[in-house]
Amino acid sequence: MAHRLLTDFELMILLAILRVGEEAYGVQIAREIESTGGRRVLLGAAYAALDRLERNGLVSSRIGSPTPERGGRAKRYFRVTARGVRSLRETQQALVALWRDVPQLKERLT
Amino acid sequence: MTCRQALRLALALLERLVPDSDPLAGDLLEEFERRQSSVWFWSQVLAAIATALFAQGVEIRPLRLVELQPADALERSRRMNLRFHPVNLSASPVSAVGGLGLVILGSLVTLVMPGAWWLLLASALAGVVLGIIIIGVRDQSSPAGPASRTPSIRAR
Repeated sequence: MAHRLLTDFELMILLAILRVGEEAYGVQIAREIESTGGRRVLLGAAYAALDRLERNGLVSSRIGSPTPERGGRAKRYFRVTARGVRSLRETQQALVALWRDVPQLKERLT
Repeated sequence: MTCRQALRLALALLERLVPDSDPLAGDLLEEFERRQSSVWFWSQVLAAIATALFAQGVEIRPLRLVELQPADALERSRRMNLRFHPVNLSASPVSAVGGLGLVILGSLVTLVMPGAWWLLLASALAGVVLGIIIIGVRDQSSPAGPASRTPSIRAR
């Protein structure tokens, strides 16, 4: 079982990486969260979260090739590890269980 | 200062204060080309610096075990003690007493000559500035260098 449940931001980041696919790097991840999640993303905060997720083994990263439009700086691509996917499933199960049968939310839906 | 110069300054600050920030800097440049907003760029850079500084503050760093000869260990300990030795601007042999004496003297002067309160305030400010300069110069000239990355455990 995973250490702890994911925070909301970590959850969004992992889901965004999975949605973007193989070419997931900072800008793409942030754009995916902003467009689908409607949440403004600070790139520095995203990188801090990604570093934390990598330290915990939930994502892995690789450095791409530098490009002139990025001032000769390389992209850092991320992918979700198997452990990260397990953590996502556990967080999803916990949230679904909490969500279920909440009277106030049921009223809003009907 | 032109826009490009301002961006270069922002990037220099980012690279100086945020470790391993190359990919982040590249992302910011890439987004800047799309958004063309210096305000956005600077807000992202400042937020990244604040995030990194905060993260460093809560990070628990394990002690680095290094091989030290006994003499080195003593010298390092001595330098660490010196680094935190308070600066006593009044040259009093007892810390804080000299400063207290100055405060009392200044208060008595303003009691006798109320109009001199601005002089007391200016002196206090000048003393603080001078103290900061002295500490900064001493740290720079110290063999250990300024606030070096000496192994330490920090946690909040």
